Amino acid sequence: MNAPEPDISGKRMWLIVARRDFWVRLRDKGFVISTALTMAVLTVFVLLKAYGGSGAENFRLAIVGEGQAVPTSELQAQAHAAGATLTLQRFADAEAAKAAVQAGTADAALIDGTDLIGSHSVAPPLVVIVEAAASRHLIAGNLNPSLTPEQVGAVLDTVPVAVHTIAPTDPNLETNRAVAFVAVLLLYGQLFGYGIAVATGVIEEKASRIVEILLAAIKPRELLAGKVVGVGALGLLQLVWISIYAVVLASVTGAMHVPAHALGTIAISVGWFALGFAFYASLFAVAGALVARMEELQNAIVPINLLILASFFISIGAVQSPDTTTAITASLLPFSSALAMPVRIAVGSATLGQIVASLAILIASVAVLVPFAGRLYSNAVLRTGSRVKLREVWRATR
Amino acid sequence: MAEDALELIGLSRRFGDLVALDGVSFDVPAGAIVGFVGPNGAGKTTTMRIALGVLEPDAGEVRWRGRRVDATMRRRFGYMPEERGLYPKMRVLEQLVYLARLHGLTAVDARRRAAETVELMGVQVRAKDRLEKLSLGNQQRVQLAAALVHEPDVLILDEPFSGLDPVGVDALSAILRSPADRRGVPVVFSSHQLDLVERLCDAVVLIDHGSIVAEGSIKELRDSRSRRLIRIEITGAPEGWWDVVPGVELVEQLPHESGVFELAADADDQRLLDIARRAGQVLMFAPVHPTLAELFREVVRS
Repeated sequence: MNAPEPDISGKRMWLIVARRDFWVRLRDKGFVISTALTMAVLTVFVLLKAYGGSGAENFRLAIVGEGQAVPTSELQAQAHAAGATLTLQRFADAEAAKAAVQAGTADAALIDGTDLIGSHSVAPPLVVIVEAAASRHLIAGNLNPSLTPEQVGAVLDTVPVAVHTIAPTDPNLETNRAVAFVAVLLLYGQLFGYGIAVATGVIEEKASRIVEILLAAIKPRELLAGKVVGVGALGLLQLVWISIYAVVLASVTGAMHVPAHALGTIAISVGWFALGFAFYASLFAVAGALVARMEELQNAIVPINLLILASFFISIGAVQSPDTTTAITASLLPFSSALAMPVRIAVGSATLGQIVASLAILIASVAVLVPFAGRLYSNAVLRTGSRVKLREVWRATR
Repeated sequence: MAEDALELIGLSRRFGDLVALDGVSFDVPAGAIVGFVGPNGAGKTTTMRIALGVLEPDAGEVRWRGRRVDATMRRRFGYMPEERGLYPKMRVLEQLVYLARLHGLTAVDARRRAAETVELMGVQVRAKDRLEKLSLGNQQRVQLAAALVHEPDVLILDEPFSGLDPVGVDALSAILRSPADRRGVPVVFSSHQLDLVERLCDAVVLIDHGSIVAEGSIKELRDSRSRRLIRIEITGAPEGWWDVVPGVELVEQLPHESGVFELAADADDQRLLDIARRAGQVLMFAPVHPTLAELFREVVRS
């Protein structure tokens, strides 16, 4: 009786490991629950954006000037016709009205009935209301039976209101910020959640002692690589799925117009996640290999936690101010760039040079860290029984 | 077949200041079952881990089929570690398929072998259950299945019998004989159940403090290490009837001047029998074979 011929192409061992780690977790209740939860949170966020907040039906308009002013009765009539409510605030001069707009206490300011001023933009329904009111007033005041057809045409051609913004910026900025904000939240959740999954997976194998059987068949780095790839692939799959869900939901509900380059941002986030995950998962795997039991994991991952948390808060800050030194530095450093760089790209602040440098630094760090972590892991993972000191393991590698 | 032997050559290993192994060498011939015995902490597990490549030796090497063992060859080894371990939450059959794949079997072969192995172990009805749902005895069977699923060409088992009931012990004994007898697989296992080792093994290797202190077949061990003991049961003999034979000493006094006697190397057992028959009525005259346990105690004490 002949034994089955062994498959000599041992290079694929990590793939077999990855497949197990992927499928076991995919079928786990925890995965379904975490996916559903994330989708629920996203749904709330998108719906708030679509129907809540500043509100499509309620506008606050600052008004300055009496002479050519559009009568407030006309404005209210148009607002009523559009199904909106209009709150009017009178200001003594244009500066005070603009200040109110900038401070956000008014949505726009109508100066002398001719200029409509918003901060970054003026909500389209408000523009329609004001233009309609101004046109009606203009036409009512200027049309009389003695006018020639040419004069009537001239009156009708008059542009009644000019729309300005105080800070003329990218019209997509708000959308981009929203996308960046959601991206940071998701990336943070995936990096942390799936990093922990790698650590607990390592501990499971160590605590159940199966690691000894596994390492009698394959090399430690094959086991490590397989686990990181398998768990990471699942995290990536979930990230892509949730991103698609968010984009579709946002488009369907009309919460935001998702511009083409926001899709680019999402693709970039996914790519950065893959690299950032390789970086953090290696650290998590070493932490898992150092401890003997699940209960000890919390302590072992404190430094990694701090690193991720700090990166997270810096990146949240970068959504509003992407050009601070802190934000730029964070988008270059390997432990924070996976969170900070997608944000800066999303809000359009990263330069091509920074993007390339950030990628190069991250790839180089991963290339250095992974084999290094693999060696630490190899030396620590078979020491069952008690917590292993990092220094001992490091010494054993030399 | 001789070239299919597993050879451990001069294995040494330190853990910090502790010398765990100091030049351990022995062979496991093809088709032979070798019992690896020794007190706790003698170096059995360390030796087996090195043979499996789980641990690196400081010096020495492991050879199989005359070649230094590498990662590819090790895939053909079957291993049951002392610290039992499988995935508690994974289904029995899936677990075995996975391990078979890691040992280099194709997906088709792995599924076939996993099904065969659970049947061989008598756990096929639990094959779709998660491991943690099985009784400890059945988990032990699955553990052995994990060592056998890829039809290994070498079997290394660390305390395979611990935790088994007598029925399980008999079943496992039969299972271990099968690959050795049918495919010439070298089998080495460690155990503290020395009666079992004595019954099952073709040869025994005894380790103590990281060094091999005795090895060979049970008979060779007896011949080389043990004292010559003869049990004589006699009635009607006078006190001290054996004193006239040189080199004979009473070890254990039994009723009616019977006893167990130790003979010096040059003492004549036939002369002792003649004297005994003259002294009284001999009911029994038999050499006493020390059990492996007695040999073990003797060797470890010395």
